[in-house]
Amino acid sequence: MATNSVLAVFDHVDTLLEAAHRCKASGWGFQIISPIPLGHEIEHEFGPRKNWLRWFTGFGAINGFIFGWVVAFGLSVLYILPRGGKPILAATPTLLVSYETTILFGVLWTLFGFFVLCRMPVISKKPFHPRIAVDGFGLLVEGVREDNIPLVEKILKEHGAGEIERIES
Amino acid sequence: MAEGHQKSSMSYKDVNEDIYGIITRSGIGYYIICGLFGAGAAVLFILPWAYQIYVGQGVSGLNVPVFWGIYLVNFVFWVGVAHAGTLISAMLFITQTPWRRAISRGAETMTFFALMLVTLFIFIHMGRPWNFYWTFPYPTQRQLWTNFISPLTFDVFAIGTYTTSSIVFLYFGLVPDLAALSHTASGWRKKLYEFLSFGWRGTDAQWYTQNKACMFFSAFIMPLVVSVHSVVSWDFALSLVPGYSKTVFAPYFVTGALLSGFAGVLLMLSIMREAYPVMKKYVTDYHYDRIGLFVLVLSLMWSYLTLMEVVTGLYANTSQEIEHLKFKLATPPYMQLFILMIFCNTVLPLVYIVRKVRGSVFGRFVVPVLVLVGMWLERYLIIPNSLSRKFLPWMWQDYAPTWVEISISLGTLMMFISMFMMFVKVFPIIALFEVKEDIGVPMKNRKHH
Repeated sequence: MATNSVLAVFDHVDTLLEAAHRCKASGWGFQIISPIPLGHEIEHEFGPRKNWLRWFTGFGAINGFIFGWVVAFGLSVLYILPRGGKPILAATPTLLVSYETTILFGVLWTLFGFFVLCRMPVISKKPFHPRIAVDGFGLLVEGVREDNIPLVEKILKEHGAGEIERIES
Repeated sequence: MAEGHQKSSMSYKDVNEDIYGIITRSGIGYYIICGLFGAGAAVLFILPWAYQIYVGQGVSGLNVPVFWGIYLVNFVFWVGVAHAGTLISAMLFITQTPWRRAISRGAETMTFFALMLVTLFIFIHMGRPWNFYWTFPYPTQRQLWTNFISPLTFDVFAIGTYTTSSIVFLYFGLVPDLAALSHTASGWRKKLYEFLSFGWRGTDAQWYTQNKACMFFSAFIMPLVVSVHSVVSWDFALSLVPGYSKTVFAPYFVTGALLSGFAGVLLMLSIMREAYPVMKKYVTDYHYDRIGLFVLVLSLMWSYLTLMEVVTGLYANTSQEIEHLKFKLATPPYMQLFILMIFCNTVLPLVYIVRKVRGSVFGRFVVPVLVLVGMWLERYLIIPNSLSRKFLPWMWQDYAPTWVEISISLGTLMMFISMFMMFVKVFPIIALFEVKEDIGVPMKNRKHH
């Protein structure tokens, strides 16, 4: 049987979280969509998330550090530039260049990781309610069998959901 | 809720309406002023620059031995102004300081446009701006390889990294706001917001990633802020020129940059509040109080380092250092400029000791303008002034900027103002979601954790 999603909009975050708990207990997946970050509240209710972004940041920073050394050292070897008795391979200034490239690559890879983990840019239309852009808090219940949709809607209404929309897969 | 904010009676809807109202609702006067600044920039900046490119650098006051004039004074000045914006956001984000939220976007925007001018002044100073790519490391048949032990090469990396990071940081905060406003906006603004927000919806996973990313950016940007102006100071300090060769320059430049940056933020907020009275709900006396204190503390630090700069020169006691100090401190008109600088950056900020002054018209407009003037003078008294008194008397030559340099400097200032004003008409100048966070999470039965 086909599975669908249900998007409900709440006025209050605590009632939304209670509804999310019941959905989770019933085995349905859910996403919370909000106009402000609710990291603290969600973490308090459902436990901490895994931070995958740090791997992107770390990868970028390490590569940036290596890039700085390779550019400054490698190219100084390839194109020798005598500078009044100063060393061809100078470690101190190279450290400075690599410090900047560490940060540059770290920032760029964090940006890349952000897009990957947020699954952006989005090409297809995703479930959303315009009220969430202002003051509504959305609960998107996913993977609901068609015969269970009335039950999901009943649970959401019990917890004070305002607008409820069915979204067909 | 942040201390001092007047938002207890505000709703999320009010915030959306207020902030979108700043973008869309303006009298004709706003556009006329913006247009005048834009026209001023075209006349005072673009035409003289075109003239300089056509005729050559000879139309400027740059000549042997003073090859670094007010173009580089402006370059260092705008790097300084660019400092506070991203630092305010990054430092106060890491420390989770709530009053940052209403002012961070404006400060980051100021950083963005200041960095545009920084880049521009490098091009103007080059004389032949089409050869800019010579600063980048690339294999060339000319066999002129980038010198990696030159502080000018450090500058390319430092400024490039800071500009990129600041743009990313500004854009990052804008994404959720643009997505939210795309549901309110219409016409070209709606299309632009939809495109730039890349389909952001505000799912819990997206907010989590956004928060972590901001944390990483902040952690990167704080040391970067310090390193960028240290590197800029080494353009001078790593040379042997009397007046330049000072180990105190890195902390001196960083402190001065922060002082001018905070003064710039203070002035920008004051002007914005007058232009948009609705901003008074978000930018309150509490913000002036906090930023005023920052300016006061930074002014004291800067004053100490200025004293140290002079004292280390005296302590070195070499004839060229003493000659340079005589020229800077006891020769008109530089003596008067030095006194004016001390008045603007040391004496005047002391008025912020009085709490009432921090929120007064004098404290909001007059003091920050004069601090910015003082900081510009500081760079003037270091950069061309030191080159005027090099080692031997036959090398001594005074420098005076020509009308081309003065006009370009004024024109770029006008360009900064007009670009900022245009930005305000396109993008939210107050961080929408962050101000909503300030109001609090709506709960029916429980208290907000």
